[in-house]
Amino acid sequence: MAKTCNNLSAVLQGLNDLRMEDVPIPEPEYGEVQLKLLSCGICGTDVHLWKHGGIGGLPVTEAVILGHEASSVVTKVGKGVTSLKVGDRVATEPGVPCLQCKKCKAGRYNLCQDMQVIIPKYCGSLTRYAIHGADFCFKLPDNISDEEGAVIEPLAVTVYACNRAGIQMGDTVLICGSGSIGLLCLLTVLARGATTVLVTDIADEKLKIAKKVGASHTLNVKGMSPQEAAAAIEGILGEPVDVTLECTGMTSCVSTGIYATTRGGNVTMVGIGNLSMEVPLGTAAMKEVDIRGILRYCHDDFTNAVKLVASGKVDVKPLITHRFPLEKSLDALKTTASGVAIKVMVRCADN
Amino acid sequence: MERVECIKCVSQPVIIFRHIYIYTQHGGSTQRGSSSPRSQRSGDQVLLRMGSVGICGSDIMYWQRGGNRRFRLEAPMVIGHEGSGTVAKVGSKVKTLKIGDRVAIEPGTPCRQCFQCKQGTYNLCPGITFCATPPDHGNICRYYKHAEDFCFKLPDHVTLDEGALMEPLSVAIYACRRGEVTLGSKLLICGAGPVGILCMMAGKAAGASQVLITDIDDNRLRMAKSLGADHTINVNGRDKLEVAGEIEALMGGQPEVTIECSSVDYSYVLGIHATRPGGCLVVVGRPSQQTVLPLDEAFRKQVDMKGVFRYTNCYPAALAMISTGKINVKPMITHHFTLNETLRAFETAISHDAKAVKVIIHCDQ
Repeated sequence: MAKTCNNLSAVLQGLNDLRMEDVPIPEPEYGEVQLKLLSCGICGTDVHLWKHGGIGGLPVTEAVILGHEASSVVTKVGKGVTSLKVGDRVATEPGVPCLQCKKCKAGRYNLCQDMQVIIPKYCGSLTRYAIHGADFCFKLPDNISDEEGAVIEPLAVTVYACNRAGIQMGDTVLICGSGSIGLLCLLTVLARGATTVLVTDIADEKLKIAKKVGASHTLNVKGMSPQEAAAAIEGILGEPVDVTLECTGMTSCVSTGIYATTRGGNVTMVGIGNLSMEVPLGTAAMKEVDIRGILRYCHDDFTNAVKLVASGKVDVKPLITHRFPLEKSLDALKTTASGVAIKVMVRCADN
Repeated sequence: MERVECIKCVSQPVIIFRHIYIYTQHGGSTQRGSSSPRSQRSGDQVLLRMGSVGICGSDIMYWQRGGNRRFRLEAPMVIGHEGSGTVAKVGSKVKTLKIGDRVAIEPGTPCRQCFQCKQGTYNLCPGITFCATPPDHGNICRYYKHAEDFCFKLPDHVTLDEGALMEPLSVAIYACRRGEVTLGSKLLICGAGPVGILCMMAGKAAGASQVLITDIDDNRLRMAKSLGADHTINVNGRDKLEVAGEIEALMGGQPEVTIECSSVDYSYVLGIHATRPGGCLVVVGRPSQQTVLPLDEAFRKQVDMKGVFRYTNCYPAALAMISTGKINVKPMITHHFTLNETLRAFETAISHDAKAVKVIIHCDQ
């Protein structure tokens, strides 16, 4: 089927039901471009959609193409598009805000209540051809590879998270979780001038990668209570941390962050976990440790992510540990779900 | 004033340099549309029967001088941008408004796609369409079309006149936000015209503990006092450093924020002298080509100077302040005219004897 398919796509038909199908090649309307997909990374969200049929309270109600961390090349340009031409390589910012509501106009379009994320029109990047709004496409310079271009999206998440966390030069930072998001946070905080970064995880192999990527310290917190972990962290560093970037979604790690962060600091929640968590909120309040949420990214986070990679300040290549062709999208999802990988990359182009 | 008439027409006062013609033309919108995909679908626009429109200093500038350094009048242009109206028709995609709703009209519709728009400073959008800024037409006319989300529904107890005043009030709210006027602030305002008075009202509503207003016109200062100014100073012929000292004495300390609303060089210099170190001078008025400023003093004192270009995301706050009665703009409205009296309205606005504060043109009369 793959050889005769014009637009092979990984379509989620329902819970646990991913099928490789031929989908009509979409045509760009006003303000849109048609893209040929190059590379697409797999995210925990894709796995969640596949295994649970929804995420964050949003159910999948119709068939959708999975994937949203993509690099592409422009194949057609719709009317009214002046910023891109055929042949330009781009990273794409998924999500279509309304651009009319109060949140959008105030510059916080990531919080738009009518933001469309899981829709048939603009979602899927695990495909050969897609369309996208030109103003949500970001040109990739020649020195960024297709695969690096596909890491721009999760890197934009961590760029935004570090803005929200207010990371400053000279800071001491705790990062909970040494998966792809934790490691991208590590790269981002170092680019912002943090000088001491301790990464925690429960797997030694993951912590080894964190050390290679630039963590000054690592700690395996398996079996520790949050208070024990916080005490161990302070023991290693000699002081509480300025900021915690929580990248696991685990309640225990949020609690660890609250205990380990200095007064007046903050715990920024990058990982997605349970909607309800039992954490020492009173302790946080009395220490003036703010808890800050993250919802994707906004305005120039993609631009800055591209700049970080293009300038060499951030090297994301070591994070790509597994590769699959588009035809093997299901294997890509399974590998991500197993937890052995850091970043799984799918090659969408058939060359 | 010349009058060109035709049958079944829409009256629209049109500015040609130094003249206002009541140019009656057959229906339709004369507005230049913006180039965003959103405006390509006129489904989410509304047609408004215009109600009240206020006259602004910039409208007078286009009439008298044909423009400024940045915007020049090259062709006849419908004037006016401080407006309110009643919904007469709705596009197919309009969700929040229906025929008969009365609205205040935020006159600038940005492209929504550029960096400025996406980060919330849509006032700085290079592709913005703004009423009565050449070449975009304004809304002193009978009927006018506008984007749904830039029309703000007025509750029943808020008049169309108050709706029109929401535009200059938004300028004032934005100036206070830029200056970070907050609870306890001491606020100096240079210039007691309508913008200065609205800045005073907005500053007090934001929690300013004291407001001092300067001007060279005693009548204006009396009006400012009656509307809430704690102190006023007539600065005509006065030495700036002396005035700065008097301001500090009257307020019991230097103001943290100065909002300049007079466009006179004197006020910029006074602002730098008078503002507390670490404070802020917000410039709403426009300086002349060759303004001489004591920059070394400003920098040494860390008095930041912040410009203001219109406003962004202020209409909701303006509506909330007016509809809850926290700000009362009605005393500022001093003169009323019908659409056909537009030229007289403009002449009144600049007449010293008329002592106008805000002149309203009723486009539905």
